[in-house]
Amino acid sequence: MRFLLRRLIHAVFLLFGVSILTFLFSSLAPGDYFGEMRLDPHIAPETVTALRAQYQLDQPLPVRYARWMKSVVHGDLGFSFSYNSPVGPLLWVRARNTLLLTVTATLLTWGLALPLGVWSAERLGHLPDTLISWTMAGLLVVPDLALALGLLLFAVRSGWFPTGGLASIGFDSLSPLDKLRDLALHMILPVVVLVLTALPLVVRHVRAAMAGVLDAPFLRAARGHGIRRHRLLYRYALPAAANPLISLFGFSIGALLSSSLLVEVVMSWPGMGPFLVEAILSRDLYVVIGGVLLSTLFLVAGNFGADLLLYWADPRIRTEPEAK
Amino acid sequence: MSKRRKLATWLVALVALHGIIACAGFFAPYGPVAQDRDHPYAPPSKLHFLDTQGRVHIRPFFYALRMREGLSDRYGEDTSRRIPLKFFVDGIRYKLLGWVPCSLHLFGADDARIYLLGSDGYGRDQLARVLYGGQVSLLAGWLGVGITIFLGLVIGAAAGYYGGWRDEILMRFAELFLALPWLYLLFGLRAFLPLAVSPLKAFLLIVVVSGTLGWARPAKLVRGVVLSAKERDFVRAARGFGASDEYLFRRHILPETSSVLLTQAAILVPQYVLAEMTLSFLGLGVPEPVASWGNLLANLQQYSVLMSYWWMYLPVLAIVPFFLSYFGVASALQEWADFSKIGA
Amino acid sequence: MQPLIQVEHLVKCYSGRNVPGDGEVGPALNDVSFSVAPGRTLALVGESGSGKSTLALCLAGLERPTSGRINFGGHDIVALDEKQLRAVRPQIQLVFQDPVSSLNPRFTALEILTEPLIVQRRGGRNERRERALTLLECVGLSREMADRGTGELSGGQRQRLAIARALSLAPKVLILDEALSALDCSVQAQIANLLMELQSSFALTYLFITHDLVMAAHLSDEIAVMDRGRVVEQGVPEKVLRAPEHEATRRLMAAVPGSNVTPRLPRAL
Repeated sequence: MRFLLRRLIHAVFLLFGVSILTFLFSSLAPGDYFGEMRLDPHIAPETVTALRAQYQLDQPLPVRYARWMKSVVHGDLGFSFSYNSPVGPLLWVRARNTLLLTVTATLLTWGLALPLGVWSAERLGHLPDTLISWTMAGLLVVPDLALALGLLLFAVRSGWFPTGGLASIGFDSLSPLDKLRDLALHMILPVVVLVLTALPLVVRHVRAAMAGVLDAPFLRAARGHGIRRHRLLYRYALPAAANPLISLFGFSIGALLSSSLLVEVVMSWPGMGPFLVEAILSRDLYVVIGGVLLSTLFLVAGNFGADLLLYWADPRIRTEPEAK
Repeated sequence: MSKRRKLATWLVALVALHGIIACAGFFAPYGPVAQDRDHPYAPPSKLHFLDTQGRVHIRPFFYALRMREGLSDRYGEDTSRRIPLKFFVDGIRYKLLGWVPCSLHLFGADDARIYLLGSDGYGRDQLARVLYGGQVSLLAGWLGVGITIFLGLVIGAAAGYYGGWRDEILMRFAELFLALPWLYLLFGLRAFLPLAVSPLKAFLLIVVVSGTLGWARPAKLVRGVVLSAKERDFVRAARGFGASDEYLFRRHILPETSSVLLTQAAILVPQYVLAEMTLSFLGLGVPEPVASWGNLLANLQQYSVLMSYWWMYLPVLAIVPFFLSYFGVASALQEWADFSKIGA
Repeated sequence: MQPLIQVEHLVKCYSGRNVPGDGEVGPALNDVSFSVAPGRTLALVGESGSGKSTLALCLAGLERPTSGRINFGGHDIVALDEKQLRAVRPQIQLVFQDPVSSLNPRFTALEILTEPLIVQRRGGRNERRERALTLLECVGLSREMADRGTGELSGGQRQRLAIARALSLAPKVLILDEALSALDCSVQAQIANLLMELQSSFALTYLFITHDLVMAAHLSDEIAVMDRGRVVEQGVPEKVLRAPEHEATRRLMAAVPGSNVTPRLPRAL
């Protein structure tokens, strides 16, 4: 229990840290959203000053941070200058789309990586292992930017896949099953890019962890008892190798979020990515901060989920005396 | 010994690739900013050995491109005249390695421009832009990694050597940086810095931003090395002779960090180059007219470009051999480090 | 005869981390007192966790005791600050158990031997080289080995090198912390003989730390048995082995194979 509590405090600390960092960075900005306006001769300087005061951009930094923190706790993430509406709802819609993509990609990645890695470890040094290792090495070398652009090019030239967006025109008039198909069609390419980018590292780690475990005496004993191969691998060996893999899971979420940012922009998926880039280019302060914070929240939540998984999977954690 | 040979081969590959980029002026027939408004979006020139009458020529040749109106395929070959490809030609002046004035080019042609990788909307030679752009992107990667390695070494060594509360605080700070999705951080940081700046300033900004964000992992690794090196008997023995902290660090502990730092550098350079490419691709990095691998790809965001001008995708592939070589070097270094540890 | 080293009521408590050996709760050294006469060998025998490594480190000036005195050459080492300690350090040198970890694998033999001289700023480059080569010969290694790396040396050769290094500053005292324990049996005998020769050649005083009671009896003039941070029994080898008083001594005797073997004749004074 104390382990979980520690991880929770750690997570909260992380969120705080990030929020302070982002606010700090924002103070580096020479000029703000209204800086551009000031250059416009049609707008009187008094208007700009008044707008600034209205949005409280003229207050010192700690005050702004405190105010913002207070409103965040109440669920209000600030105000978007470009859209002239609260940040929260805007972000949530996009976040939902991003989650759709990243959760699917995560499930697929691990769903593929586990069997591939286990198989590789089982046939270490033989043909399946060599093939998989080489393929993974090849994938590792191609950056996600190249992959995303390449698949986009393919989509455009072949016309088999939609080239962007979440839904086709006339989506609302489709039957539920067709809606699902349409969504899936739009999702395939971005998900493929995310999976192919994340797969090599995960497969390599699964392979290494399993290879380490497969040699263990307790496994040989189990094999001697005549337990079937499938059960042996997945019910006996894998849990023993789970520890480093769960840590990797936490780490891979961060990497996946970064990847998804790029993929969403390139493939025009309406998630947090393009929204964030747009906000950056138009200096929409609270959207940027909100976006960074939200992504951190996902990351932290994912890591905490990994910690929960670890707690459940590894009995040693529960019984460990408070050594550190 | 084969580990050393492996490392050597990858290093040679890496040096060769960088050599080509460094001597961009020689390998490219034209400059990166020279426009040719008569040939926007020209496809890659096809090299022929067989002419229209069926004769074989040893020296490859190509045809000039003529615009065709009204057809989706904009250009046609003007087969009336063969234009042979010449090697080691005298062309426009450039400065080799930025220093030696030179006018020799690997290949070129008279009368018409050859576009091995096609041209962009302003008629600029894509091959030249890839080669010169590589200089910018790779340099950004190297400089950024330099900053990161330096920061990582200083912070990691301080944390590992002094221990105690200093270590605690520094490592908590590092965890913060490690935990965050790096691209979001990079964007966030870039967001708050001036957007419309000169190419040089933008370049420096990218270098500094990516350099200062990535210190956490090297720092953690260095700290681990320093912590374990500190406890080694030979360090204790040296202290037993009356060695000062500074001597111990310089002579015994610092050398232990070299393999970790080198491996980290080999892993990070491609990542940083990619970071520059991503930023420039989205318009947050090196701006036009300076070429970088990132902004070469920027116009791929337009549907029309993707649809009709497929060769604009090719610059992306330029980075692949580099990634490959860097990963090769990194894994060879890793293997060598593990191997020598077992031996000792 | 005036003792060369006199340890009085030494106490060392660790705060939790960085405990060498078996790291138990409670003081590693709990009121340790003994003395060593010049030119003699005192063996400190104990199981792991008895505090012998801690004692070695304290005596070599690599750990600061919590309280107590270590009298050496008219000074109390415990009370000296780092600068003063630096002047005393050359006189007490430590040879570690594991010759692999106590010699930097990146250094050549020459670099290892000249390092103490460099640190203490003695002599120029040529003098240092000469001294290193002389030391190599003293410990039974050939001069050609000077430019070899330690990876090419055997365990016994490495330990010889470690001993040579310890001698480079012409110490008065050598602390041998389980210096023979990591070596093969046959090599142990060779190195033990080497140590005996060196002791008479250079008039060295030895503090021989080990868990092997029989080896201690063979090599030392006096044995002090340690258990849980205290000296629980002390005396000449024959007496300690034949009539062990403390239970810890009996345990150590039982741990040695063939421990009913009688110790050899006492060495000539």
